[in-house]
Amino acid sequence: MSDTLKLFFKDVGRHNLLTRDEEVMLSQRIEKGDKLARERMINSNIRLAISIAKKYQHRGCSLEDLIQESSIGLMKAVDRFDWRRGFKFSTYACWWIKQAVRRHVASHSTSIRLPAHAKGLLWKMRQYATDYEEEFGIAPTPEELAELLCVNLKTLNAIISSAATPISIDARVGYRGSSGPSEGRTIGEMIPDPRPDPGDELDREKIASVVRGALHTLTEREEKIIRLRFGISEDPSDHAQLPITSSELKRLQRLTVARGVK
Amino acid sequence: MSMPKGHKSEFGYATVTGDSGGMDYRTIAEKMTEDGHKMNHATARNIFLRAMNKLASPVCTMYLNEADGKKIDQTARDPRFQSSMIELVSEIYNIDGKIDD
Repeated sequence: MSDTLKLFFKDVGRHNLLTRDEEVMLSQRIEKGDKLARERMINSNIRLAISIAKKYQHRGCSLEDLIQESSIGLMKAVDRFDWRRGFKFSTYACWWIKQAVRRHVASHSTSIRLPAHAKGLLWKMRQYATDYEEEFGIAPTPEELAELLCVNLKTLNAIISSAATPISIDARVGYRGSSGPSEGRTIGEMIPDPRPDPGDELDREKIASVVRGALHTLTEREEKIIRLRFGISEDPSDHAQLPITSSELKRLQRLTVARGVK
Repeated sequence: MSMPKGHKSEFGYATVTGDSGGMDYRTIAEKMTEDGHKMNHATARNIFLRAMNKLASPVCTMYLNEADGKKIDQTARDPRFQSSMIELVSEIYNIDGKIDD
């Protein structure tokens, strides 16, 4: 935690929480344009903003930024609070604070910026998935999730793939030696190359040429038996020369006739 | 009695036929007899193993430099060698059934 944040937390503790009557009284003064009352209302509720901001930590944004955003949400709530409705200020404010923090996290936590509604959908999707798994013991299929969220499956898949965290192909992974993070392999080095290994290809070519030579030395009988044993037909389109015996052919013919009769 | 250690081909039969309709020795013998090469299943097996020996011999020489008869026999009977030969020989034989030079 930075020194600035420590000082800020210390300062926050100096302001007492407000009673319901104090909240109403301050709101009335705010309505009349009293700036001091507004400041007191904000300072007294800043702890609420901090507690909400803390819940969104470790999502790619610093705590300082989250507190700043939640404070902006709090200010908005102070300006719009209607004391006549009879609710406590915290009940009303927490929604504005959450909205401000979520919007910030949505636009700053990943390299690909997703629209707020897409982030909201992802949030809902995770919630539904957790609930579904708790109830039925298995994870829901994407089709089920799309139906639950009332969205197109294609849209849902597009949002899920856009929300994936991108990583650098040059990022190093694994063991970090004494010389620091420069040791270890990069992700790019660990991605398998689908092309065959040149060494293996060369070996295969060598063997193929040796075997090709050896095949020339086979007698007619040997070649024929190898073909029959390995199932290499001389011409796959020639059905008269299929590698089956005449007795088998007769049996198949009988079977065909019997099926035809039925 | 416990099972002997090592690969099955070293102690008994371990045979490999092609995925695309390879035949057993009895059927091969029957087919060959029909085609004018009279033989029984044991002869079919012996001819097949002799052909395998011919293919294994240059491969063993290439990898082991001085391959003796025993080693070649062992390689020829090995189902792993036979499996790899199915793939290779199928590739070498072209569609007309001639050796693809």
